[in-house]
Amino acid sequence: MSEEINAVPENRSDYVIEMRHITKRFPGIVANDDVTLCLKRGEIHALLGENGAGKSTLMSILFGLYQPDEGEILKDGKTVRINDPNDANALGIGMVHQHFKLVDVFSVLDNIILGVEPNRFGFLSKKQARERVIALSESYGLNVDPDALVEDITVGMQQRTEILKMLYRNNDILIFDEPTAVLTPQEITELMDIMRGLAKEGKSILFITHKLNEIMAVADRCTVLRKGKYIATVNIADTNREELSDMMVGRHVSFVTEKSPANVGDTVLEVRDLCVKSKLHKKNVVNGVSLDVHAGEIVSIAGIDGNGQSELVQAITGLEKPSSGSITLCGKDVTYQGIRYRNTHGMSHVPEDRHKHGLILDYDLKDNLVLQRYFEPEFQKKGFIRSDEVKKYADRLIEEYDIRSGQGAATTVRSMSGGNQQKAIIAREFDREHELLVAMQPTRGLDVGAIENIHRDIVRSRDSGVGVLLVSFELDEVMNLADRILVMYEGEIVGEFDPKKTTPQELGLYMAGAGRKNAKEESAE
Amino acid sequence: MKKDIKEKTSFGVWLKKFVSRPGVKSVISSLICILGGFVVGFLVLLILSISSEDIDFADSFRGLFIILGGPFSAGNRGDALYQFGNMLFNCTPLIMTGLSVALAFKTGLFNIGAPGQYLMGAMGSLIVALSIPTSVIPPILVWLLALLVGIAGGMIWGMIPGLFKSLLGVNEVIVCIMTNWIAANIVSWVFSGSQFINVAETKMNFIKKTSVNNVMTPTLGLDKLFSDGSLTSYMDIGIFIAIAIAVVLYIMLNKTTFGFELKACGFNKNASKYAGMNEKRNIMLSMAIAGGLAACGAALWCLNGHQDFKWEVYQSLPDVGFNGIPAALLGGCNPIGTVISAIFLRYINAGGSNLVGQTAFNEYVSQLIIAIIIYFAGFAKFIKDVVIDKWIAERRKKSAAAPAKNKPDGGKED
Repeated sequence: MSEEINAVPENRSDYVIEMRHITKRFPGIVANDDVTLCLKRGEIHALLGENGAGKSTLMSILFGLYQPDEGEILKDGKTVRINDPNDANALGIGMVHQHFKLVDVFSVLDNIILGVEPNRFGFLSKKQARERVIALSESYGLNVDPDALVEDITVGMQQRTEILKMLYRNNDILIFDEPTAVLTPQEITELMDIMRGLAKEGKSILFITHKLNEIMAVADRCTVLRKGKYIATVNIADTNREELSDMMVGRHVSFVTEKSPANVGDTVLEVRDLCVKSKLHKKNVVNGVSLDVHAGEIVSIAGIDGNGQSELVQAITGLEKPSSGSITLCGKDVTYQGIRYRNTHGMSHVPEDRHKHGLILDYDLKDNLVLQRYFEPEFQKKGFIRSDEVKKYADRLIEEYDIRSGQGAATTVRSMSGGNQQKAIIAREFDREHELLVAMQPTRGLDVGAIENIHRDIVRSRDSGVGVLLVSFELDEVMNLADRILVMYEGEIVGEFDPKKTTPQELGLYMAGAGRKNAKEESAE
Repeated sequence: MKKDIKEKTSFGVWLKKFVSRPGVKSVISSLICILGGFVVGFLVLLILSISSEDIDFADSFRGLFIILGGPFSAGNRGDALYQFGNMLFNCTPLIMTGLSVALAFKTGLFNIGAPGQYLMGAMGSLIVALSIPTSVIPPILVWLLALLVGIAGGMIWGMIPGLFKSLLGVNEVIVCIMTNWIAANIVSWVFSGSQFINVAETKMNFIKKTSVNNVMTPTLGLDKLFSDGSLTSYMDIGIFIAIAIAVVLYIMLNKTTFGFELKACGFNKNASKYAGMNEKRNIMLSMAIAGGLAACGAALWCLNGHQDFKWEVYQSLPDVGFNGIPAALLGGCNPIGTVISAIFLRYINAGGSNLVGQTAFNEYVSQLIIAIIIYFAGFAKFIKDVVIDKWIAERRKKSAAAPAKNKPDGGKED
């Protein structure tokens, strides 16, 4: 089936972009191995694959950031060479990056015209640009205020600014790199509508994702990559979620993590009236939060990014000092204890930002795996690191958690894929002796296969009597794993829910600040 | 060369693998820098010889060989030995300041304060060496005490930028530059009018040699070994102490939990904090150790016993402090590499001095050539990260393209 779709069409002009037999090698790895991707005019084409499957590499090649080692790129049937993003731009290829490339202190309009500023004798003339932006915004239903400062608008609006940027440059091939990762459920629905509208106007869209629901909802066709290899291109109408995920992972994946009812034990974490002051302004970003986590349960904090979750987790784990309140870990007051004390007294922490906090990218894998344990007698003797023991330990974790890398324990972590970097952190935090696991966005940027594994690990950890505090921006994840759900909004816990009795819609309302439920009950229990 | 690729595939693959190793990569990039420095230096000699009437064309080639020959370009065997001994002695402080900079680099800090730390070390060791009478206490004990006091002075001086950085978040470069000049003024102020100044008429700007108090670094006869027959060189065991310290540093950085922490803080302060390390303490410690290393270089130089320390330094900082930076960079910030590059830089220096004596080039030209080579040393990281990686990537491309497309000579695409 897939062969037919990907065969050279009789009428080549059906395709705006053809990437034929692309191969790209990096040290120790073939990122793209003979991959072919053909994009029809006016279609939404999803590019699906696990982390490290080569999606980003393929798109970087199309956007001119990398040069392919083999293969060719055709635009409207003609071979083209894309040396840098400017070339891509000239060919009408635009990209919305996962992390937006916007200047925070500029207005939306300024960001849109950045780099292609309209001028008269060297003086900026924004009037026409402004009219055009408003016209574009209206015709595609983007609803963006051109005069608002980027730092003042929501993430969804920032994303639409990025889309406007592409439209303003007359791009008609639009690449979306995991666009939904940062959005709320409501915003995702809006984005889907916008994408459909764009396609209807004749724009061709490449949509990188590993969220199957979104593909099923919006895409016309889907190309699946696995471990750098081309697997298939399928019509969405002819397939289903399960088939796609099996193709992507290469085995059957279950979406719902099976778990038995929680067997709740003693309190392992007790947070009382915790306040954290913002570094930017005087207000409290965490405002009087109280919560308990018991052994053997998963407490999940849902909420939109930026409502104080990061600061709450940093205060609990010791990265940030709280301004008031108390934190009790396994019966000991740790409010003013250091991070090492918490680490060695039962706390494991999967940090939100794996590059900033989780890993030392220039250290090799084995050193990262003992990052909080190098000083233990197992790994050192009189101040000298027992490298044999470290190696042995690292090899065991690599084996157990299936961490894939070019040179095993000696691989520099910087060269590993994001998914495997995360696996390394998971392995390290789960293998340490702990009674409380604080996990913030543990599956961020991971694919379904890896997510399934991490979810299973978290549930297994819970069943062995560990208390889990899970902070996630993904409602699916929260609904799937939690035994109790707390919704956080503007630094406060605004509601507590039983996942069996609530719906994503209800949670979504609370996450957007529309409701407030008596959350103080649970702190009083 | 392109034709060879097919025939020598196995060699090519081996070469590619060999060059890919991080250690080899560092060494090769340093060697390329040195080569580049020599080529440009030679061009300068060539241009000068063409444009100047006094210097003929052949002199530029002679000049190059003299520089390449280092101390061995000296006229005869005796001179060469004498110069070689002095070269090794002069290496000692440069190795130490190089190590100081390299250690700081390894831990993510830029120690541009080595000159100040060097001055504080010199002051501390000179005061001890000249004020404790060796008639009461054995000279070797005074020597040891002077060395330790010097090191302690440098450690305190290095700790100041470390404190500012870790507690207040002030960039260490700014504080280092300020402490450099503060040190220069303190040293001049402490010594001015003091009993330590050499009263001999032509030596008024200098401190007494420590040999007047019998305090001298042991030579084990090395000074006589490296002499031209009548004049003994300054060679002493200082350089062996410096090399031993380099080895200790290497082991500390690569084998111990302390080194593990220091490097971790250098690479990623946030992750080190997350892992429960005391990143603030580590910044202070690493600056203190860096300061101690630079000061140790000063002490070993002063305590040689035959050196004139110029005390009026408030207008110029000792260049050996700054030269630690190219020494460290050229050595890839590896302690052992730093020792080798420091020796190399002094070797070129010795060649430069011979250039003045033996050709019509003046001393400025020799300084210029050395400066060019040092300047090129700054490219070591660029060559390592950009040029060599690109070369490896191209090799890979070619060797992969050859079998895949069955090209008769696998690399004509460019």
